[in-house]
Amino acid sequence: MNNSLANVERKQRFNRVVSVLHKDLYRYATWLCRDPGIAEEVVQEALLRAWKSLDALRDDDAAKPWLLTIVRRENARYFERKRLETVDIDSLTPAQSAMLAETEDPNLTVMRQAIFRLQDDYREPLVLQVLMGHSTKEIAELMGINPGAVLTRLHRARIKLKDEVEKEDAK
Amino acid sequence: MSTSGNIMKCDDYKQAIAADPSESFADGAEHVAACASCAEFKAEMIALDESIAKALSFDVPELRMPELPDLDGQDENVVNMPFKRKSRFTMPPWIGIAAGFALAAFLGVQFLATDITDITNSSDKDLLLAAQVLSHLDHEPNALLPTNTEVAEERLAQVVNDDVGTMDRGIGLVTYAMSCVINGRTIPHLVIQGEKGPITLLLMPDEMVSMPVPLVGESINGVILPVGNGSIAIIGERDERLDDIKKRVVNSVEWST
Repeated sequence: MNNSLANVERKQRFNRVVSVLHKDLYRYATWLCRDPGIAEEVVQEALLRAWKSLDALRDDDAAKPWLLTIVRRENARYFERKRLETVDIDSLTPAQSAMLAETEDPNLTVMRQAIFRLQDDYREPLVLQVLMGHSTKEIAELMGINPGAVLTRLHRARIKLKDEVEKEDAK
Repeated sequence: MSTSGNIMKCDDYKQAIAADPSESFADGAEHVAACASCAEFKAEMIALDESIAKALSFDVPELRMPELPDLDGQDENVVNMPFKRKSRFTMPPWIGIAAGFALAAFLGVQFLATDITDITNSSDKDLLLAAQVLSHLDHEPNALLPTNTEVAEERLAQVVNDDVGTMDRGIGLVTYAMSCVINGRTIPHLVIQGEKGPITLLLMPDEMVSMPVPLVGESINGVILPVGNGSIAIIGERDERLDDIKKRVVNSVEWST
């Protein structure tokens, strides 16, 4: 097979794998870094890396955890490179404000703000479970922690969100 | 405590349902069917999860794919992903497992040796013990479930018995206690709850180590501390800070010999 034909086939495979997951990857990255603008950059870089290492993906059915791992690492690299400080929820970037203002439902805004405020350690497993539909075991593998710790963090994340929402309701 | 008489307690159920509202854990359905308070809590968690799911699923703008460069002969930038490759060698599985644990323990010593003056002092015996400790963690994953339910006094007294020594409750909230075998000796395996998750403690009154043996891995941070004529293994999550816990544990335990 000549090189250009191989490239075309490779690109077709890549597009097939990525197209169904692209939005989820972006949402995951957004909740990881809490900034839709940065998330777009992170996902772009991650997809480039994925493209270059596509041969390492033996089974297309395993594409989701494979791509999530790349996005996760790229997010860490991004923050290392830029030496960014933790996002302060009280001084939102325009992209964050736009995301919170996207809905007119006040309850949804309260919940999004509460999720923004969660510690990274708690927010990530929650996103992986609720948004990505991952099992405890899969989250543990992806995050490199044990399943017990995943369950602890999920429990604490929900209790914190419940408390925040109740506090807002009481105002 | 549930009045339903089921094995699962209300506190345990509430912990579990808050971690997993799909109730995929064992005995949950049976418990909630007979406990109104937990049924109400479950309904709250399900409603909360619907809100969380809605909040997480924001509208995604038009996304563009990156420009994909042709890769003919350009493999040098390939990212190494953690995929298992077929080994070129074959060996009985137990050799691989044993070697893996020994290597993990050895690497732990290498990488976390900042407070150790001379890691070459770490003997083979220490490394072998570290390998057995790590191996043991895999045998009882149920020990690491999150819970606030304390182990009963009688149970704890059975596990940390007179042959072992004494332990005061200043050690923290003990949520698991089991007599286990390490190196042919029965020892107490305890779990306390830390900041980042459960922390395993193995009290080994007859296993001396020559110096602290750090245990590190992708997901763990721990150490085997020399304590009198024995040692105590303390293993938490990778990002768990163990300094205070180490002091607390060492101050709480006294060997009988």
